[in-house]
Amino acid sequence: MQKRSLIEFDNVGFTYGSAPVLEGLSFQISTGQFVGIVGPNGAGKSTVLKLMDRLLTPTAGEVRVGGRNISQYSLRELAKLIALIPQEPEYFPFTVRELVSLGRSPYRKGYGTLTPLDEEIVERAMQEAGVSEHAHRPVDQLSGGERQRVTLARALAQKTPILLLDEPTNHLDIEHQLHICQLLEGKAGEGMTCVAVLHDLNLVAAYCHEVLVLDQGRLIAQGPPGDILTPKLVQEVYHVAVPDIRHPVTGRPVIAP
Amino acid sequence: MVLLTVLLLSILVAAAVGSVSISPVNVGKMLISRVPPFRSMEQTWTAAEEMIILQVRLPRVLLAAVIGGGLSTAGVLFQGILRNPLADPYIIGVSSGASLGAAAALLFLIPAGIGWYGALPLFAFAGAVGATFIVFRVGLMHGRIHPTNLILAGVAVGALFTAIVSFMMVLKIQNLQDVYMWLMGSLSGRGWRQLAAALPYVLAGSMVAVLFTPKLDVYLLGEETAHSLGIDVQRLQKQVLAIGSLIAAACVAVSGVIGFVGLMVPHAVRMRIGPKHTPLTISSFLVGAIFLVAADTLARTVLSPVEIPVGIVTALTGGPFFIYLMKRG
Repeated sequence: MQKRSLIEFDNVGFTYGSAPVLEGLSFQISTGQFVGIVGPNGAGKSTVLKLMDRLLTPTAGEVRVGGRNISQYSLRELAKLIALIPQEPEYFPFTVRELVSLGRSPYRKGYGTLTPLDEEIVERAMQEAGVSEHAHRPVDQLSGGERQRVTLARALAQKTPILLLDEPTNHLDIEHQLHICQLLEGKAGEGMTCVAVLHDLNLVAAYCHEVLVLDQGRLIAQGPPGDILTPKLVQEVYHVAVPDIRHPVTGRPVIAP
Repeated sequence: MVLLTVLLLSILVAAAVGSVSISPVNVGKMLISRVPPFRSMEQTWTAAEEMIILQVRLPRVLLAAVIGGGLSTAGVLFQGILRNPLADPYIIGVSSGASLGAAAALLFLIPAGIGWYGALPLFAFAGAVGATFIVFRVGLMHGRIHPTNLILAGVAVGALFTAIVSFMMVLKIQNLQDVYMWLMGSLSGRGWRQLAAALPYVLAGSMVAVLFTPKLDVYLLGEETAHSLGIDVQRLQKQVLAIGSLIAAACVAVSGVIGFVGLMVPHAVRMRIGPKHTPLTISSFLVGAIFLVAADTLARTVLSPVEIPVGIVTALTGGPFFIYLMKRG
């Protein structure tokens, strides 16, 4: 059965100044997938994510979302379609509830306050991300892991079919890393398409439905992590030798030196 | 609402205080008696008192409120859009440009018969708008605004203009007093005309500013997040900077460079009520207005009949108060 593809890159290139960052990139991501983008530093992972949210415009080829060229959407339409968690989200001493409420701003008309429906969505987003108990605390008093969950709640309140995340597990302890990945896995199960740049290959192996491997601006491989993250590929892309180990329970690859 | 009441009361009290002391109650009655349905009210004050209040003190006190409110609102806008806590209404060249315009007018143009003293605000306003325009041109890269570039451009243009002002002052050392008073910021001798000149810009600018406040909240989360929440970041930056500059230029043009209000008031208010821009902007306007009304009252009464430039009073009283607020946390 052909799955419906939601995000399509068609021969996309991106050049920054005179240096090509991405070249001839073509792939499709279908609805309800949790996709990990991996690759060494400088491979162009963040650039791919920025092209998906039109923070950057491709210098060649076309990015399509829902079958339509991404440049044809208005910013507001795009905001109802795609939520983004950037690499280093910024925080101001908003309370948690205030910050999560900002996720509803694409839906607000003019100067309106939150509708009861908005309130409900905000409550639900805080619950899902596990930050309801902090609703009235200023965000800058929370730990790094809690803040990242608040940012996630803000993105969930945006109620978009697509969620993009740039290294969402950075600086987090293992409990918070797993929590975020489990949450994304769950949201994908509900039909949300989650695309995350991740450095931890083991998280990708354990949680992602699909992995995109980039190296030097090109797509090296795409497919289920169990098939893709082989010692051979790790050797090719990262230049490190790893043994062929599988998780004793799940059978998924484990990447360890 | 509390702030609005305090502002109205402080305007009444400030108008009552001075070399001729008039009771605030009489000031209030005087104003109410100007409104048609109350014209027949019994007059408990002298004609001279009415003259002092309506022609001298009231316009000046109202102007202090407008300038204080305008500078604070502009401060909120600049701190928000540049995401820099040190930003104030003067950071992108408004004050240095206005100073250049005013100094050129006071030292050269007016003595040479080009323009007249009453047109000083026009020269200052032209200088402020000119400097802001230059800073914009320099700070804009490939049509995009980068806050850091803009701040650096503001510092560079500011240094250049300040140097030119100093040079002009050296050349014309005999006319320095007017320029000095102006550079330090003063409301001395200002009346209805200056109020009428500044009020439309400050009031209209501040109202438009409030319309932008929900977007500024989103913008605080960073440019990428704001973009993904449907905000045209480039456009927002240009619009907000233009509004802030216009408000600041109108204020500086009539009052000279009154420092510290636009930097401190937004911070003090933020410490009390948090970073949400709608209440922050409105409260900052009111607090700034109250603060400058009080400061200007001190400026004209403490050493009466000598006037202290109000810019000195704002820094002298505001500085320690701000340090107290910071230490208290």
